[in-house]
Amino acid sequence: MGPIHIDPQRAVAELTTFNQKLAAGLKTLRSLDEVDYGATPREAIYREDKLVLYRFRGETSPTAKTPLLIVYALVNRPYMVDLQHDRSLVRNLLARGEDVYLIDWGYPDLSDRYLTLDDYINGYIRRCVEAVAKRCNVEKINLLGICQGGAFSLCYASIHPQTIRNLITMVTPVDFHTPDNMLSHWTRGMDVDLFVDTLGNVPADLMNWCYLTLKPVRLFQQKYVGLVDILDNKEEVENFLRMEKWIFDSPDQAGEAFRQFIKDFYQANKLVNGGLRIGESEVNLRNITMPVLNIFAEQDHLVPPSASRPLQQHIGTQDYTELAFKGGHIGIYVSGRAQREVPAAIHDWLAAR
Amino acid sequence: MNDRKTTQDWMKDWQALQRQYWTAWADATRGASGEAPDPATPWHEGLEQWARLFGDASKQSETAERLLATAKNYVALMQSMLAAATGKAAGDAAAPAWTEALRNGLNLPGLDAALHDNPLARMLRELRGPGAQAIDQLSASFAPFLARAREEGLAWLGAPALGYTREHQEHYQKMAAALLDYQDAVNRYNALVLKASRRSFEIFEDKLAERDEPGRRIETLRALYDLWVDAAEEAYAEVALSAEFRKVYGNVVNAQMRVRSQIQQEVERIGVDLGMPTRSELNSVHQRLHELRRTLRRRDDDALVELRRELERLRTEVEALRRRPAQAKPAAARSAARKAVKTGNARK
Repeated sequence: MGPIHIDPQRAVAELTTFNQKLAAGLKTLRSLDEVDYGATPREAIYREDKLVLYRFRGETSPTAKTPLLIVYALVNRPYMVDLQHDRSLVRNLLARGEDVYLIDWGYPDLSDRYLTLDDYINGYIRRCVEAVAKRCNVEKINLLGICQGGAFSLCYASIHPQTIRNLITMVTPVDFHTPDNMLSHWTRGMDVDLFVDTLGNVPADLMNWCYLTLKPVRLFQQKYVGLVDILDNKEEVENFLRMEKWIFDSPDQAGEAFRQFIKDFYQANKLVNGGLRIGESEVNLRNITMPVLNIFAEQDHLVPPSASRPLQQHIGTQDYTELAFKGGHIGIYVSGRAQREVPAAIHDWLAAR
Repeated sequence: MNDRKTTQDWMKDWQALQRQYWTAWADATRGASGEAPDPATPWHEGLEQWARLFGDASKQSETAERLLATAKNYVALMQSMLAAATGKAAGDAAAPAWTEALRNGLNLPGLDAALHDNPLARMLRELRGPGAQAIDQLSASFAPFLARAREEGLAWLGAPALGYTREHQEHYQKMAAALLDYQDAVNRYNALVLKASRRSFEIFEDKLAERDEPGRRIETLRALYDLWVDAAEEAYAEVALSAEFRKVYGNVVNAQMRVRSQIQQEVERIGVDLGMPTRSELNSVHQRLHELRRTLRRRDDDALVELRRELERLRTEVEALRRRPAQAKPAAARSAARKAVKTGNARK
């Protein structure tokens, strides 16, 4: 016997179906308009430079007394948390009574090249936290940091713990030197000073290229072969295109902030090893004594679970909860399972505190 | 399928399948792609004809383009695997034979020799962004010059620059050295990608061998393709997580940055000659502006902190005064009375 039992007649039928779907689907593809995104009404409550702080409006008034501020990564656009009506972390949190705010960092240009992590964390985030707290007339707010935004939130909460009631981190890298972290592995051979001095801001295309080359065959080929399977379904194609837009609609990275993030986090692993300074403040994760919920994705190839899990060992709180989500770095916001599990877990955890 | 068929019978079967494929293709694209081509035409060429119809820009043309490029590779690969399957009785071939068929499917006719048996390099080349392409084009256009430099033993790159144009000469020497260094770094990177490609065939073969048991056998082209993708990613990850790759990857990035930096210096020099504002000048202004903003913010923040402290002090004092009205009032009354007496005496 042998490992392959492909009947030629069935195989031709399989390829024929593939071609038929492709031919029909390309017609559909041509007829589609630009996809829209962002499902939930929102209002801008604070602006500074290119940053806009939004408050989302749910169908009913929030019942939670403490507002929840989402701090997203700089490397992608934050509308992933509110991609479309049936794939929205924000919408599901609002439906459960949370009062949700979000920082949109905008698209940095070369005038933002000299923004530092101090400007982002002790500047922008601090003023956004103050704006939300003032508006809601509270002294402390809840903070939800996602991916790189999670690392920023850890820094912020350790420097300004008096302003945070509960901290939630989602797909957040903490230990950057675990053996399965390919992105970190690659950055450690880079001369980041030469890189930033040459490029100024780091172009989004270069960042995206780097992400795609983490899994080149899967992300640049198999994904599009899989797209043929759904080409006859307009709604599914629109979902795919919306996701495609999000993946490649990336901002450039402010050079100085990028330099410090790569040096201190990726190369020196200071969040874990210590010695991290943001401006004049030292980051000591032991200062994080508020309750912490740490959510990570089990199949995450960008931030492996091994990078997120060590958080518990390094923070000062006794109230630590971990949620391992069955999915990947993106599925954690947009999959059907995510819609059912993640907002409910966040809300229930907050409600209990 | 019948094990007793002759080679001629298999050939007929294969031709019949090809006709069947093209008939189905013509049906699928009726009215758009013209006449069905000769049955012997490679199947992915149908997609190329189809792709030309989408040359006019539509809102999703980029996605369509990427989709078609992928589909072309997929169909070519599957045609090769199917041809291998048609030439054998069901389950007749061992894993190495399928691996050979996979290699054939990945090596499309007309493929750059450097990408032969190197599917990962091909994918990475297709993936390359506009920024990296520009550098590679530059490197390619300098290639004859750089080749000559190599033949001459690179001695002139280290030769001292002299005279009125010495600065320019030195700059071009540095740029040539940076380009040569970049070429070397890319070659070392490509060698590792080739290693990953070769390893992917070994892993594919191992994975196939693992499936040589009832209930695990592969029965569809898609399942075969997915297995190949798993093998390719596994091989790539093995290499990409190695210490050698980290070093080589870092060297490619650093070497490319040195080339860019040399080009930027040249552009700046031209900009200065033409009286145009340069990147360095703008950077300097932006840097000063950010420093100024930080200084102002620090002052505002310090003033705010001072105001808050003052407010807190005043609040504490007011609160303290409120807490002792009973003692304060009589004392105040006595003081006022003494003052009134003194004032009255003075008037007298």
